[in-house]
Amino acid sequence: MQTFTLETGSFRDPESRIFYAGDSVYRALSREGLEDFEALSASGLLDDERIVRTERVQEDGLPELLPTETAGVLRHELIPFVSYPYEWSFSMLKDAALLQLDLLLAALDRELILKDSSPYNVQFKGARARFVDVGSFERLRQGEPWVGYRQFCMLYLYPLLLQAVKGVPFQAWLRGSIDGITPAQMRGVMSFRDRFRRGLFLNVFAHARLERRYAAKGGEVREEVKRAGFRKELIVANVRKMRKLVTRLEWDPPQGVWVQYGERNSYTDEDAARKDEFVRKVAGSRRWRLAWDIGCNTGRYSRIAAEGADHVVAVDADQGPVELLYRELRDAGDERILPLTMNLADPSPGLGWRGLERKSLPDRGRPDLVLALALVHHIAISANVPVKELVDWLAGLGCSLVIEFPTREDPMVKTLLAPKREGLHPDYELSFFERCLHEAFVVERSERLRSGTRVLYFARPKRA
Amino acid sequence: MTTLLAYLDPGSGSMILQILAGGLAAVAVTAKLYWRRLMRFLRIRKDDPEAETAGKADSA
Repeated sequence: MQTFTLETGSFRDPESRIFYAGDSVYRALSREGLEDFEALSASGLLDDERIVRTERVQEDGLPELLPTETAGVLRHELIPFVSYPYEWSFSMLKDAALLQLDLLLAALDRELILKDSSPYNVQFKGARARFVDVGSFERLRQGEPWVGYRQFCMLYLYPLLLQAVKGVPFQAWLRGSIDGITPAQMRGVMSFRDRFRRGLFLNVFAHARLERRYAAKGGEVREEVKRAGFRKELIVANVRKMRKLVTRLEWDPPQGVWVQYGERNSYTDEDAARKDEFVRKVAGSRRWRLAWDIGCNTGRYSRIAAEGADHVVAVDADQGPVELLYRELRDAGDERILPLTMNLADPSPGLGWRGLERKSLPDRGRPDLVLALALVHHIAISANVPVKELVDWLAGLGCSLVIEFPTREDPMVKTLLAPKREGLHPDYELSFFERCLHEAFVVERSERLRSGTRVLYFARPKRA
Repeated sequence: MTTLLAYLDPGSGSMILQILAGGLAAVAVTAKLYWRRLMRFLRIRKDDPEAETAGKADSA
């Protein structure tokens, strides 16, 4: 095999390890892992379209990839852009949770089980959830409990509860804690009356209490449970109950002006049409591999970009519009636009072991086109990022750029500047912005919208 | 019986909880689990000799 790169985020399971070679993604399996894979393959479940497409390949001359000898290699379908639960909106995490539970039920039906319950095992191809950790399936061992139950609570159920019951966004917590929310922590944010909510008494209150009580008795309890005979029916009953509980959890974005209309409100119809046309012309000028629509709001321009791009990553700091965009795309079966929520003034860093287990945004695939529409003023004024630094960051991505600059006279800019001291943000000027843009990019085209306060630019990288 | 190979700690409290949460499906397991505890508590049976040998076989 030619040169290969180990996936730095796939070391936790000793039976399987992801690596890349050429344009493909592979999985090395231990003897035990291979036997589990063969059982999965024979069960027919591997053909389920919710599971990433996988085939067995013959590869020789592999160096040491696992703690034990590599017994087999699989090749997986490539996911266009990797995303993490702390970048997903509520319904994305909920759909991933339901996928996890449905596959677990399907596995149990075939005398298999999923050995863990991590949302990092789910990826989105556009707005379609795919289960990517084929190595998570293993043969069911009689007497064993649902090992992944605790992890399911910590990384799926509790974050969803936090949002649905408490109205607190889960993303910051998941980004701050790679293993999720512990039962004791979740218990801590619950109020007295929450114990009467369906499913919460057992999964949060009793769970936290039992965990404290049996903290030091791991091996003992395990033996006891095994001897009492933990049957498959019990796991099935618990998974079904969990599924019911997760299905009932709901969250809707607040009915704000932002969500309903976005900034389109500050455009006249004619301006909106001209902006559409500007973006459409760029999108159609060549075939783009990966476009980022940063500050995507309701995804209007992500959809236009998708006319000329293989894949679009649509990012917005506000979870509300991302949630609505995801629902629409999911219901339409879209596989090309991936909606994510993230503050671009504080984008996802490298996290986990050595800061390499979860990758930063640009490390997961550089775009060849970036749309930054109705964004500059938010980053420069609200987040105080100097205009030149923002332009230089974009240039550092090495991509073509469609960028919109709302002038100081723009109503939205005025609103953002209003609470600030007079004279702040002297760099937020059209002429200075243009100078920065010309220094870092080759500006191909620009257009001032009829209202006069918004200017659009299409620029390509200097070195290309 | 094979030793458990799970790389993830299922959590002892979490295992007990699954038995409590299992409802009807869990009745038999719960009964067995607590019957054994009761027997031990009453000192009618000190330990399960069967499990002891199984445990030894596991660690061998």
